[in-house]
Amino acid sequence: MTSGSMNISLSDFFNIIFKDSTGTIEEFIVWKIRIPRALASILGGAYLAVAGLLLQVFFRNPIVGPFILGISSGATLAVSLVMLTALGLGMPRLNPFLVTLAAFIGAGGAMLIIVSIASKVKSGVTLLIAGLMIGYLCHAVTSIIIAFAEAEKVKGFTLWQLGSFSGFKGTELGIMIIAGGILLVFAFGLSKPLNAFLLGEEYAFSMGVNIKLFRLLILLCSCGLAGLVTSFAGPVAFIGLAVPHMTRLIFATSDNRILIPGAVLLGGAITCFCDLIARSLFAPVELPISALTSFFGAPIVISLLLKRNSSI
Amino acid sequence: MKNAHPVLEIQNLSVGYKNIPVLNSVNLSFQKGLFVSILGPNGAGKTTLLKTLAGLLVPVSGVVLVNGKYITDYKRSELAGIIAVVLTEKVSPEIFSVFEFVAQGRYPYTDFFGRLQTKDLNVVSSALDMVNATALANRQLGGLSDGERQKVYIARALAQEPEVIILDEPTMHLDLKHRMDVMNILRRMCQEKEITIIASLHDVDIASKISDCVILVKNKNITGWGPPEKMLIGNAVANLYDFDDAYFNPALGSIEIRGNGQRGKVFVAAGMGTGAVLYRLLAKKGFQISTGVLHTNDLDYYVAGSLGAECVAQSPMEPVSGDLFNIAAALIRQSNFIIDTGFITGGLNQRNMELVKYALEQNKKVITMRRQSNGLLDAFTSECLIKCSDETEILEKIELLF
Repeated sequence: MTSGSMNISLSDFFNIIFKDSTGTIEEFIVWKIRIPRALASILGGAYLAVAGLLLQVFFRNPIVGPFILGISSGATLAVSLVMLTALGLGMPRLNPFLVTLAAFIGAGGAMLIIVSIASKVKSGVTLLIAGLMIGYLCHAVTSIIIAFAEAEKVKGFTLWQLGSFSGFKGTELGIMIIAGGILLVFAFGLSKPLNAFLLGEEYAFSMGVNIKLFRLLILLCSCGLAGLVTSFAGPVAFIGLAVPHMTRLIFATSDNRILIPGAVLLGGAITCFCDLIARSLFAPVELPISALTSFFGAPIVISLLLKRNSSI
Repeated sequence: MKNAHPVLEIQNLSVGYKNIPVLNSVNLSFQKGLFVSILGPNGAGKTTLLKTLAGLLVPVSGVVLVNGKYITDYKRSELAGIIAVVLTEKVSPEIFSVFEFVAQGRYPYTDFFGRLQTKDLNVVSSALDMVNATALANRQLGGLSDGERQKVYIARALAQEPEVIILDEPTMHLDLKHRMDVMNILRRMCQEKEITIIASLHDVDIASKISDCVILVKNKNITGWGPPEKMLIGNAVANLYDFDDAYFNPALGSIEIRGNGQRGKVFVAAGMGTGAVLYRLLAKKGFQISTGVLHTNDLDYYVAGSLGAECVAQSPMEPVSGDLFNIAAALIRQSNFIIDTGFITGGLNQRNMELVKYALEQNKKVITMRRQSNGLLDAFTSECLIKCSDETEILEKIELLF
């Protein structure tokens, strides 16, 4: 909270938080920039981690992340349409709200396609492949759009693609907290069937899990969470893939009743920490959050895996 | 049967994937507390049938009745309290302790968050106890051997407190000890808990000894079902699996593997079980066997017959007749060598001793395990009469001579 492009001392910080407003620029920075950003990164990290966890259990595949089903690709496509083509015309400067809206529509669209496919196909693997294909399709269209776009706009678009938790407003935060909160509670409510699902679809079915309903709920939950974060912060890499692993290894269990809260905590903490480094390491230049998350996450996951293997 | 309803019943059932039937018009019923084995070659549709019975697959046509009610009329959670499954699919090694894994079987009974009550804990403990896996409770699932893992899978099914447990090849990949363990556990569950066990098995010999009922599946059809004592007779097993070179003898309860018979002819003078081990050894080494004169109630007769040997046989309790002696003598003349197992002689088989003497008189080489012959064979030189103490020594001598 105290460090960043502009340093604010700890005592000043507590003054700003707990005392009456004085109208200084520090106060503005803390209340309007630093706190929303910290909150957003915590929430974003938590949501992505849970989304990743749900999908890893659902597909029984540890290398699945929340973006595997084409959610980020869908969002990226929609954003590229807005940022790089005539659809964004009429706006001299890009409206951040429009970008968010586009990302939300893109993510939502990809999610709807996935859910409708899920209601038709039986096997999880087929669904996974369908998701990957949707991702590729969106990616292909996006790259065509990039090819025709102006170079300057492409830079802005590339930056968006790297993801960032900056510039969160109160209303956006509100949406994040309420919608995401509901989805999180929902996800936690699914932890019993999720545990049964660890045994495989047929065992879960034989123990009384309503597979069709459960499948739909899982997808809605994880796509909703991932889509929400992507809409506001862009596709933040790695958190959704790595944090579930870390949680499993740190808590040494596969019990989702523990893992879901665990992923919320770890996801929030790690993302917030990465965001802090991203904005303060080379201040005032901000590093892309995705670069930081990958930088920290990959070695941690590898070392945890190695440690666990040797202890078995 | 006392019970009006069988616990599981199928009528006119065709099972398969995507409306393509794998097995057609099956009618079966399963009584409470029976051990039912499904036998048949790979790909015959055993797994498909089992999965349809468990409600995991939708039948192509026909119905499955559970306690007299259509399976489709049950809620999944109700059904989970009646039917549990053990599948061949290996559960991926998540970070699961054995106890946690078995406790998953309590799924239909626990609350919204899956919390275990005292009763649940007791059921899980006794399930582990039933499969002799109490000591494994705190181990990680990923660290178990195949045999231990299979027992734990069964414990999980048991923790569901079902009336029926359906198992797909529960003894696959297991060593003999665990195979017997698993079968004994299943048998005990039938007898003590009155659970109906329906399992597809490949060990026909074990299945025939442990099952109350066998179902034979071949070529998209149920070719028979009933008690193994009735079903697995004659060539039923050989036909089921299309063996040419092996034979299942229900009386012996085992599969005898026939040799190719290309190494020359041997006549074995045997009786009262003295030839059984030797016959198998000779068949394994590729000799064409003829033997006699055996009484048809003799163990040797069953083994030799199963191995496809030419048997000269006499009805029980009758002395060996002159006619049979002559037939056997003819076989001796055709044989490359003769083996005398050292059988005890008495009033009924005195002539068999004369067969050995006859062979020597024909200048045939005779290998004998006999210690003393009451002077009958003393006249012959050690060149013709080769003495051995057991089957392996015989084999060494044969390998030297032929």
